[in-house]
Formats: sequence, structure tokens, C-alpha cells
Amino acid sequence: MPGKKSIRILMSLLFIILLISAMSYADELPPLTYKLTAVDKAVQAPDLRLHNMDEEIIDIKELKGKVVVINFWATWCPPCRREMGSLERLYQAVKDKNVEVLAVNIGEDLDTVFSFMGTVEPSPEFQIVFDPDAVSMNNWKVRGLPTTYIISPDGTIAYSAIGGREFDHPDIQKNIINLSRQLK
Amino acid sequence: MKEMIILSAIGLFSLSCFAETPQNSRINSATGAGTWETQAHGVHFSLTQILPEQVQAFYVNRGFTLKQIEPYASSCVYMTVLRNDKAPGAIHFISNNWSAIVAGKTHTLVSVDKWVQRLTTNNTKKSALVAFRWAQFPVEQEYEPGGDWNQGMLSFGLPAGSQFDAIARWDIDGEAYEAKLQGVQCAR
Repeated sequence: MPGKKSIRILMSLLFIILLISAMSYADELPPLTYKLTAVDKAVQAPDLRLHNMDEEIIDIKELKGKVVVINFWATWCPPCRREMGSLERLYQAVKDKNVEVLAVNIGEDLDTVFSFMGTVEPSPEFQIVFDPDAVSMNNWKVRGLPTTYIISPDGTIAYSAIGGREFDHPDIQKNIINLSRQLK
Repeated sequence: MKEMIILSAIGLFSLSCFAETPQNSRINSATGAGTWETQAHGVHFSLTQILPEQVQAFYVNRGFTLKQIEPYASSCVYMTVLRNDKAPGAIHFISNNWSAIVAGKTHTLVSVDKWVQRLTTNNTKKSALVAFRWAQFPVEQEYEPGGDWNQGMLSFGLPAGSQFDAIARWDIDGEAYEAKLQGVQCAR
């Protein structure tokens, strides 16, 4: 018969094993990162003119003078889904600082996107535009979802990010706010 | 004393399973699907099998019929992640250069364009093809260090039950690198 001390040791070990297993399970999802890549060459942002959820045309040319965060995404893309809440938190933090957020949905209809948005916390208030045929993906040379570009007030691409990000991370917010101050 | 030795051994074994190793693998006991992952030259590479019925469900929800998507669903599809954590520079890859080694023989992957061709019929919805194209792991991509990454589906074009080594290849300014996952299984 094992003594009380052995049982305690066994229980402690079991707890450690379960804890490590739980940590390992949490690791199943690849982490969202928070680094933006600065684009050294002054590359003008390509055109982007698409309908939003209210069927109004949104044209990036009309946003010149603002920092624009352009996020290419789809509801069936797991990292896109995961970063959407942080994109809204970023928007809430910077919307009064001359910054716009445009989420470009690829290949889906309004109903699909609308029902997905109901599941995002906090609920997105930024603009969502629709690219049903993925034409903008080619114009912007996007090779995978999600991909995000940060456009300077002068209309050039300042930063890019390939793959899911934590957009409300202080490092990302700082980069965007600094960019918005370029006008002042 | 004997109990203590056994308990210590169990504890050490459990901890060693999670220590940093060239390759980690685990099988989901509920589904039987496995995950294989490694870190090589500052780059994370992992494969997690998506079982045929999961692939079917995903694409039927996107507008394919069961019949249309069946050849792809049964071709050993993996959720693939490649992430540049801390490579010495930007990595560039073309996923058509990746391969599987099955019983010592190199097997090249079926390209995304060929899958799109196979899946394109008069009855295939355009939205389904757009979803298919962009849900695949990128054909070509460049990742800066510090966390650029993608997660997408990659078909190895093998029959269910296959066991293989998967090799991901990339270059940094023309210098070639690779990461290998050994003993990857394709559950039936």
C-alpha cells in the first residue's frame, strides 16, 4: 500500500502533467504576432474602390491625408477571425487620430460577413468592403490571408504585416499614431 | 524508494516531452489527426492533418458539392503553418518546391493551379473557387523576421494511410534552407 506521502507526490505530479498538457493544448493555435515591417521604398498604394456594407463606394483616394489600415481577410480564414477583435480595439484607440480602418473581405457575400461580425467582440465599427472576385488581391500583390498594409497620409505604403496580428498591441498602436502625426 | 524512482521517472519523462526538441508531434485522441512541428534556422514549420470529412464540410459550406471536392478531400490535406520567428533575413519560398518522401522516393506536390483546374467545371460556383484558391497555403511568399506567417491548407496528394517525411524549402537572398518533418501520418 502506498503511503500518504507517496499519494501526495503522485497527486502533485498528476497536477503538473495536467497543467503542462493544458498549456500544450493552448499552444495548438499559432500565436498572433505584433511586428509590422517598415516598407523602405516609397511605394504608392494601388487603387482600391469597393462597396461597403451599405452598398456605398469607398475609394482609398478619398482617404488621402489619413493613415489607412487595410486588412485583407475572409471569414473562413482562422487567423483573420482571431485578429478581428484586436483590429476593432485598434480602431477605437486611433479613430480620433486621423486613422481609418478598411477590412477588405475576399469572395463572400454580405449575409455571411454580417453574421460573422455578430460573433466578433467588440463588434466592429470600422468599414468593411467587399471584393467578391479577389481582384484587389492581385492589384495589391497579396499572396495569403490575412495581409495588412498601413498607408501613410501621403498615400504610400508605410508598413506591411503578413499573417495574423494583435493589432491592439502597444507597438502597433505606437507605429500608427506616429505615422498619423507626420501631417502635423 | 522504488516508488520515488518510478514517480521521478514519470515526472522527468512528462517534462522531457515538452522540452525544446527538433520535432514535436502529437495525435488528437478524439479525431486521430496528428500535428507535427519543428523549428529550423529560426523558422517554425508545422503540419496538422485535416481529416477528409473536415475538408469536405469546409468546402461544402463554401459552395462545392461533395462529389466535386472529394478528390481533394481524400488527398492528405494538412493545415500548414510557416512562420519567420528569427531567421537571419527575409525568407522566400515557392511551395511547389516542397516535397514528401514516401518509402525513400521523392513525391512532388500537386500545385494549387492544377487543383483549381481539376475543380473547375461548368457547375462550380465562382465564390467556391475563390475560397478554395485563398484557403490554400500560399504558392509563393516572403516573410520578414519577427513573425510574418501564414496558415493554409496544403495537399500532399497521397493516399490515406500514407506515412512520409515532409520537407519545406525556402531561401534567404538565394541561400537555400529547409525544414523536415519526419514520420508524418495521414489518418484514414
